[in-house]
Amino acid sequence: MLLLDYQNVLIESLLRERFAGGAPVSIDQVVSDFDGVTFHISTPETKTKILISIAIKCFSELVQYGAQEVLEREYGPFSIAPENGYDFSVQVDLETLPDDPDAKEDLIRRISLLKRNVMAAPFEQAFDEFKHLQEEASKYTSESAPQGVLEGGEVRAIHYREEEAIYIKASHDRVTVIFSTVFREETDRIFGKVFLQEFVDARRRAIQNAPQVLFRNDPPLELQNVPGVDRSGSNQIGYVTFVLFPRHLAGQRRADVISHIQTFRDYFHYHIKASKAYIHSRMRRRTADFLQVLNRARPENEEKERKTASGRTFRVQG
Amino acid sequence: MATLNWRTINVDALDPDSPANFDLSSLTPAVAPASTADVQSLAGQIRQLLRGGDSEGALQGALESAPYGADERGKEIHLATVIEILQSIRQSDMSPILSRIYSSPGGTEALDVLMKYIYKGMSQTQTSSTTRNLTPQATGFSQVHARGGGEGGGQAMSVLLSWHEKLVEIAGPGSIVRVMTDRRTV
Amino acid sequence: MVCQAASDHHWQAPPHYDSRHDGIAGGRPRTTQCAFQRTTTSSRELPGGAFTMSQSLRPYLQCVRSSLTAALSLSNFASQASERHNVPEIEAASSPEVILNPLTVSRNENEKVYIEPSINSVRISIKIKQADEIEHILVHKFTRFLTQRAEAFFILRRKPVKGYDISFLITNFHTEEMLKHKLVDFIIQFMEEVDKEISEMKLFLNARARFVAESFLTPFD
Repeated sequence: MLLLDYQNVLIESLLRERFAGGAPVSIDQVVSDFDGVTFHISTPETKTKILISIAIKCFSELVQYGAQEVLEREYGPFSIAPENGYDFSVQVDLETLPDDPDAKEDLIRRISLLKRNVMAAPFEQAFDEFKHLQEEASKYTSESAPQGVLEGGEVRAIHYREEEAIYIKASHDRVTVIFSTVFREETDRIFGKVFLQEFVDARRRAIQNAPQVLFRNDPPLELQNVPGVDRSGSNQIGYVTFVLFPRHLAGQRRADVISHIQTFRDYFHYHIKASKAYIHSRMRRRTADFLQVLNRARPENEEKERKTASGRTFRVQG
Repeated sequence: MATLNWRTINVDALDPDSPANFDLSSLTPAVAPASTADVQSLAGQIRQLLRGGDSEGALQGALESAPYGADERGKEIHLATVIEILQSIRQSDMSPILSRIYSSPGGTEALDVLMKYIYKGMSQTQTSSTTRNLTPQATGFSQVHARGGGEGGGQAMSVLLSWHEKLVEIAGPGSIVRVMTDRRTV
Repeated sequence: MVCQAASDHHWQAPPHYDSRHDGIAGGRPRTTQCAFQRTTTSSRELPGGAFTMSQSLRPYLQCVRSSLTAALSLSNFASQASERHNVPEIEAASSPEVILNPLTVSRNENEKVYIEPSINSVRISIKIKQADEIEHILVHKFTRFLTQRAEAFFILRRKPVKGYDISFLITNFHTEEMLKHKLVDFIIQFMEEVDKEISEMKLFLNARARFVAESFLTPFD
């Protein structure tokens, strides 16, 4: 339970159960995921045709960064016209499932990763752009490089939550991913700082090949010309920058890095909350201890047996 | 008068017979007024003794001549003098000096005065001079920061705390009670 | 360290060792000494600099102990301001002659105890050490947590005196109902444990943060 899963566990288990056979039943479920994402799983026509739809706040932005192509690649034959009120839908017919269990498993995994795949589009685009810029840059020395190669590409902004966004920018030697995150209260802010400091230090201390992490309260230089960035410098907002190096952007790593970095914001806040909960339980325990110490100050009333004149015993109430 | 809120008037303050207007000076024994200049010259004499190596005599002299009648300024000068004496005496000498003062005539009174100065000294922590910024840099915060260590005024306080401990051993808890109840403050 | 040897000796005393019959608190210094040393021994076992701290912590707590013992000489006293009322005079402040001189015990500018005595009540305010932002928020959370449960604590004041983190109000009714020296023990133990708890919580937070950060970054490696 330390790291967050990339897939939606509910969809995964539901599909696995359905795919395993058994009598078809009708389904109508709304499933929530992180970042305000909502899934709708239903069987509108027949019990064998499962429709899975996703609603995501920043879909229009994602389409702009090539989400449609990614979804087409991942879900091709299954995708259908989006259900009313949702952004994208896939439909699986239980009667035309592949026979191969591995293929079945792959389909389950694919669908449960719907949110990850939608969000992956801008990352994939930026990683491709990086590859292109790298090739361009290798043709020049650093002095003679024309405009646009050294500065890198445009900043892709994804406003995936009410007040928070991810910004992705490709350069010829790196891809920079910036999360803007809001701390609702003072405790979160301070705990967040402790956590982020460890993220910053981890690379220096233990994990040399990890992406470089930077943290600041005012928008970093990369976001200078991006509209809609809060420039007030209030310490309620934090900007966490991940610098991904070429080794993170190629080959098998690429897909894992995309999945993993998406979970950062929720992972980070989840652990802040978990720490608060633990500290709360500690305080509860310590308070009970204090009460015990204080109660030692009360002299124990010795239970003396008292008798009435007739010899009956009674106890003093309270 | 029309705008006056009658409910917020403290009627007790207007009643001369109310306990709120109790004349505290009737509880305070008469004290001889002392000017700041007097205290200053006294401090000079005591320092003379201290420089001569007679810290016990300096302490006794300072305690016997506590300027109850001085103003705030004068009292502060004398407090500084007493604290200077206390800091100049080594830990191992504390108890013997206190015992000797205790057994001398008027010794209990002198130790009561010393107790007053110890408490007053502890209430004089300068918060303004050492107010630290909690976060020195925008993101900088040290996590290798041990709790404890020499915080502001810690050294001076630990001297007073040692004196307090030794003093209670010799003069007993009654001396603390007399600090609380004596209306003559130092 | 004479005190260390003595405390080892007294460590054998059972935890519920009752010094009630050994005389009134403050009457015999020996009794209070024993109780005190027993409680400090537990704080020394704490990792993280507790041992070096105890050098100046012990006289500080000893001073608070003797000051509190002296201040807790309370008697019943009906209000002079309103008939058939009996209120803590230190809070009401309606009769200046029953309010005594306040005492301050301080270890440094960040750790002090302010004792305000009166004829029938004593107000004790504690300033808890806060070395940085993290400790500040932890102290704030903890004292808030406690004051919200003030009802159960009898002597806990619902709001701290200005400039301090937590306040207690002990009245003559409390000292009549409870053992005075045990109340003093409680305050002393409270002061020790709060410091300890804050350091432990901070250590925990740092350890967790480190673990969480490394776990997240490891898959990139």
